[in-house]
Amino acid sequence: MPLWLLITRRIAVMVISLFFVALLTFLIVNVLPGDVATAILGDTATPDQVAALRGSLGLDQPVLLRFMKWFFDLLQGDFGTSLTFNRPVGPMIAGRLLNSATLALICMIVVIPVSILFGAIAAVKQGSLLDRAITGLTTFLFGMPEYVLALGAMLIFAIWLQWLPGAAMINPGESLFLHLDTLVLPVLVISLGGATYIIQMTRASMIDVLASPYVRTALLKGIPRWQVILKHALPNAMLPTLVEIGLSFGALLGGLVIIETIFNFAGIGQLMVMAVQSRDVPVLQACVLVIAAAYSLGSLLADIASMLLNPKLRN
Amino acid sequence: MTTVATNATDRPLARVSRTARAMLRPAELYLLFLVLLIVAGPWVAPFSAYDFNASASLLGPSWVHPFGTDEFGRDILSRVLVGARPTLLPAFAAATLGIAAGTVTGLVCGLFGGRVDELIMRSMDILLSFPALILAMLIVTMMGSSIVNLVLAMSLIFWPRSARLIRSAALEIGKREFIEACRARGESLGFILFREMLPNLRSVVIIDLALRSSYAILLSASLAYLGMGAQTPTPAWGLMVKEGQQFIQFAPWLTVFPCLVVAVIATGTVLIGESVRQRFAISTRLAR
Repeated sequence: MPLWLLITRRIAVMVISLFFVALLTFLIVNVLPGDVATAILGDTATPDQVAALRGSLGLDQPVLLRFMKWFFDLLQGDFGTSLTFNRPVGPMIAGRLLNSATLALICMIVVIPVSILFGAIAAVKQGSLLDRAITGLTTFLFGMPEYVLALGAMLIFAIWLQWLPGAAMINPGESLFLHLDTLVLPVLVISLGGATYIIQMTRASMIDVLASPYVRTALLKGIPRWQVILKHALPNAMLPTLVEIGLSFGALLGGLVIIETIFNFAGIGQLMVMAVQSRDVPVLQACVLVIAAAYSLGSLLADIASMLLNPKLRN
Repeated sequence: MTTVATNATDRPLARVSRTARAMLRPAELYLLFLVLLIVAGPWVAPFSAYDFNASASLLGPSWVHPFGTDEFGRDILSRVLVGARPTLLPAFAAATLGIAAGTVTGLVCGLFGGRVDELIMRSMDILLSFPALILAMLIVTMMGSSIVNLVLAMSLIFWPRSARLIRSAALEIGKREFIEACRARGESLGFILFREMLPNLRSVVIIDLALRSSYAILLSASLAYLGMGAQTPTPAWGLMVKEGQQFIQFAPWLTVFPCLVVAVIATGTVLIGESVRQRFAISTRLAR
């Protein structure tokens, strides 16, 4: 099968799964016990208040009808109206999405090369003190909730040493690059969290590859060791790592929710936490959808990249 | 394949000397420590975790209050000890529930294969299209913040992930002759799934439970930090961090100690999960 057809098919799979993601999101919001009106009003609301709100939100209509209306609005880019701000959700999200995407991109640019380097070094020097230090550190970071890292970094660098600002007071729409210093701590924390997966995977697959016969052959042929590592082993070890990078993107997006809240960073994750606290259901729904879509896009890119790298996957 | 099952059964139980030696292994010691923390935590707490004491508010760490006190004068150490239950129990409950559901799903997929497998796994894929924390947040918000809903939401996170793992191992077992023999004998579905297939997958399920539990603690602590599940004044560790964070500038101990405890427990569980994985993976490989 030609490559373009495979990629098209993979994209089609993503589109279909996004439809089901939207359906599931809608069902969780509308069908699970505990309906939207109660969620908005809180547990102390009287039945009359709940009934009145249900009427004004159109919740008394059949579920299927509501889903179709909601979904077609969604296709036209209409995410509904925020309950707390009484503004359309779409524009509210757009500016914040750009901020979060920039933050995520910077983190990926920092994390990927550094973790691959560390993972490869740990594999090449397997069993050495350096390897044990790297492996020990990743295991340690692996067990850390994001907020522990974030608050630790804030305490050390922003409060005790006062090197960096602890909060990023960026307004939605304002350029991030005017406030580079405020980005350092969020990027550091997200990168530390994301690096663990990638380092561990690179190390494991690099060790496998280094033990393979073709690496031994290359060494016996007299090719310099560094050349064997860089040209023969590393590209082949990259494949499982790529999949891992795609997967760690999900952890990164989840982490954004917490880290953006802690550093007061105007991104989509912070918006989602605000929506949860103010029970702003349309905003919450939109945030979940956008984050899930970004996650799907991440794994799509990882899949395409591995198809390009590995001809075996094309069959 | 039967050798794997016998090997797995007689590992911890068969001989007393072996059990005695196993007790000294760090994994068991650590588990014992966790159980003690959950069972006895509230008893050994030197102060009440809930009663206000205005004269002792925001005291730094001292001999009387090793972790300091919070803005209401409550002893942080006592709150941390009492908080082990609302933090760890939902995590273990969710991991167990999610893996039980995942195991059943995986076994069914492995036994039937074909269309049933395809349909179930595609539905699991939809659940997997959400980042874990995001899906859990959505469900808990919509169903209401309670411990039960928190456990349900977290187990929904583990269900597809565990189903996928168990299925990949069950597919191979489902094709074996002894399963075919069972069918020919006319055994019930339950018998084939739980008496024939499950014992052969025991090590996979145990490894999954061990690794998933450490992630469950992380997830539980993160959700509590976001205000999901346990509510004030419950001293769930994540919630303590969330509430203490506003004092981080001049009373950092409110944040630091609950954070340290989460970090130590979570890292410990990761290490235990790893050691369980290695031990069972090796026993499986040797038996084959």
